[in-house]
Amino acid sequence: MSDGRLQAIGLCRYYHRGPQTVKAVDEVDLTIAPGEFLGIVGASGSGKSTLLNLLAGLDTPTAGEIRYENTPLRALSRQELASYRAHKVGMIFQSFNLIQHHTALKNVEMALYFNDTPHRERRCLAEKTLTRLGLGDRMHHRPADLSGGEQQRVAIARALVKEPEILFADEPTGNLDHDNTGQIAELLTDLHRRGLTVVMVTHDLELARQCTSRIVNMHYGRLQSENEPPQPRKASS
Amino acid sequence: MTFRDYISVSTGNLWRMKLRATLTVAGVVIAIAAFIAIMSYGVGLQQNITEQYENLGLVNTMMVYPPRDQQKVDTANIVINQEMVDSITALPGVRLVYPFNEFNVTITTADTSITTKAQALSVTALQTKAFSDLAAGETFGNDSAKYILATEALLHDLAIESADSLIGDTLIVSIDVASLDSAIARVPQTMLENIHDRAANIRMDSLRNRDYLMHLVHAELKVAMTGFMDGLMNARKTVSDTLVVSGVLRGRFGGPLRLKPIIIPIATGRNFASAGYSGDPVNMLGAMYDGSIFEAPSDSSRTFPKLTLELDPHHAYEPIRDTIEALGFRTFSFAEQLKEIRRFFIYFDLGLAVVGMIALVTAALGIVNTMVMSIVERTREIGVLKSLGAGERDIRILFLVESGLIGIIGAIIGIIGGWMISRVASIIARTIMEREGIPPMELFALPLWLIATALGFALAVSLIAGYYPASRAARIDPVNALRGE
Ligand SMILES: Nc1ncnc2c1ncn2[C@@H]1O[C@H](COP(=O)(O)OP(=O)(O)O)[C@@H](O)[C@H]1O
Ligand SMILES: [Mg+2]
Repeated sequence: MSDGRLQAIGLCRYYHRGPQTVKAVDEVDLTIAPGEFLGIVGASGSGKSTLLNLLAGLDTPTAGEIRYENTPLRALSRQELASYRAHKVGMIFQSFNLIQHHTALKNVEMALYFNDTPHRERRCLAEKTLTRLGLGDRMHHRPADLSGGEQQRVAIARALVKEPEILFADEPTGNLDHDNTGQIAELLTDLHRRGLTVVMVTHDLELARQCTSRIVNMHYGRLQSENEPPQPRKASS
Repeated sequence: MTFRDYISVSTGNLWRMKLRATLTVAGVVIAIAAFIAIMSYGVGLQQNITEQYENLGLVNTMMVYPPRDQQKVDTANIVINQEMVDSITALPGVRLVYPFNEFNVTITTADTSITTKAQALSVTALQTKAFSDLAAGETFGNDSAKYILATEALLHDLAIESADSLIGDTLIVSIDVASLDSAIARVPQTMLENIHDRAANIRMDSLRNRDYLMHLVHAELKVAMTGFMDGLMNARKTVSDTLVVSGVLRGRFGGPLRLKPIIIPIATGRNFASAGYSGDPVNMLGAMYDGSIFEAPSDSSRTFPKLTLELDPHHAYEPIRDTIEALGFRTFSFAEQLKEIRRFFIYFDLGLAVVGMIALVTAALGIVNTMVMSIVERTREIGVLKSLGAGERDIRILFLVESGLIGIIGAIIGIIGGWMISRVASIIARTIMEREGIPPMELFALPLWLIATALGFALAVSLIAGYYPASRAARIDPVNALRGE
């Protein structure tokens, strides 16, 4: 069972800064069911991005485990982990992270380099995805010539073109104005309605409420359900 | 990622940093061009020498000499005579043996007269490759022909410019011989001179004194000896023949076989040899001592200063050499010399290659620098690629392909550049050689293996240079690389 299910068990990611230990993610237990739209909210620096990167297989935990379809990611070789990212995971970022010297089309095509898509099919798939996201007339533009909203849509196209099972979005609207935020939010809800599992990190609780099916709250690296009242900052440890 | 993807992404990256890539490639170009130019000189030189050996069939030629010190008792009997020639001819792998017998001759042309050295050779010997390098004309057809073959040394001695102008010229070849007859005839002649003065001086009363008598006998013997020597030195007779120049062999100094300026057909030459002793009169005393002077100069008793052997190319020369040396003779084989030369060229080429390599190492540092710089600039891009699913292997290969391309492009341009340098140098060298009167030859060679070696070296060095940057790029932490600006 549990096809497409992603699970975090006792997940920890610590950073060492001199004598101090920063517990960016601390003892997180989380299950992401296939088809759900999970919102992760929390203050800046609460460890949301770190958690997302761990789940996407881009970072390795200090302790604890991530299981994808019951297989612990820890058991995968580095090449297999890369393959997990290439086939199962799509990622979008607050700062879009498009490659500046490539066109929108080339940026999208590049996602297909790593998942065994035959050479001749890549362009066609990339064009189709961009057109679907309303960027049919922007394909040959470079990121610098596109608006923030358009850039983020190119980034979404790049994440979607390889048909991932889960889309991780790290503050996807963080750099966008109100209108563009609305467009991106709509796009993500639409994708979720079509069956895609989406995990979105945001510090915008309103946005999270508007489009997600479940919200979890991060606080100093620890996870709390949304219903729990946010704990007051501890004056002392 | 397919190999095609690696190539297309890497060329794209190089294209984007055109200036820096061009400068880095230029380093490789200079190194490879220098390597190619230097090496093609070394290889060309070697080819020239080897070709000369092969064209003249020298690798199949062996020289045999008598032991160095003929005075020693144990070597006195080891001489090159007809018997020895016959036994060497019978050795397996020996195709042809021809003895070398030189003699002094006087050449008289219409304009001038010079003394030089001649040797007699049979037509079979002349048909070997060693005599194939003619500057003009052809070799004579039979052993008793009234023709001679000259070497370029004769041209020089006669102060003639072109070989062609000598062909067909008639030369009077003459030889001064001293014979025992003339020497002995001179003895009574000398004895009779001043006989009266000498007789008048004899103290008759002291004839009984044994010492005085011995003194007198000694004095008379001395007079007789003086007469004999005088006869040898001065009362020489001249034998001459009129011969036509049929061809001129290349080789200002007689070529590798050290031929004498004139080669006479063997039967024609025998006329000269049978006339008497033509060598240095001083050496004649030696000949008298061992008795050879008193024998007729027939084939069976004559000894030769050296033999030339033509060997079967399919037969190893070493056993033949060992057999002959076991008999007490000395040998010299061009095959062995060529082996030595080849051994020398291995070190020579290696030395040249090291010079070229130093330049390549410098170019490699340029590649390292360029690649490390591009990692710094492309950190974020590498992070993006990793987030899209690129593995460490993909990133490493991308960087290696990039530095490999720098090496290959540099090598291709460098090979062309080095070839052009060698062409220019070759033209200059030929002009100088022509001006100096040396027959112009190609000093540079660019064989396929040298091109392949240059390409291989450039590729290997650039991959080694790219290895560290590539590993560093592969290890970049994508989380750090992607953190918002
Ligand atoms: N490479 C790192 N080294 C040290 N500390 C880090 C590193 N990355 C993140 N952190 C720390 O971990 C905590 C969580 O960071 P992050 O996950 O980026 O928070 P968020 O995305 O919720 O703003 C922060 O305190 C941050 O300073
Ligand atoms: Mg963050």
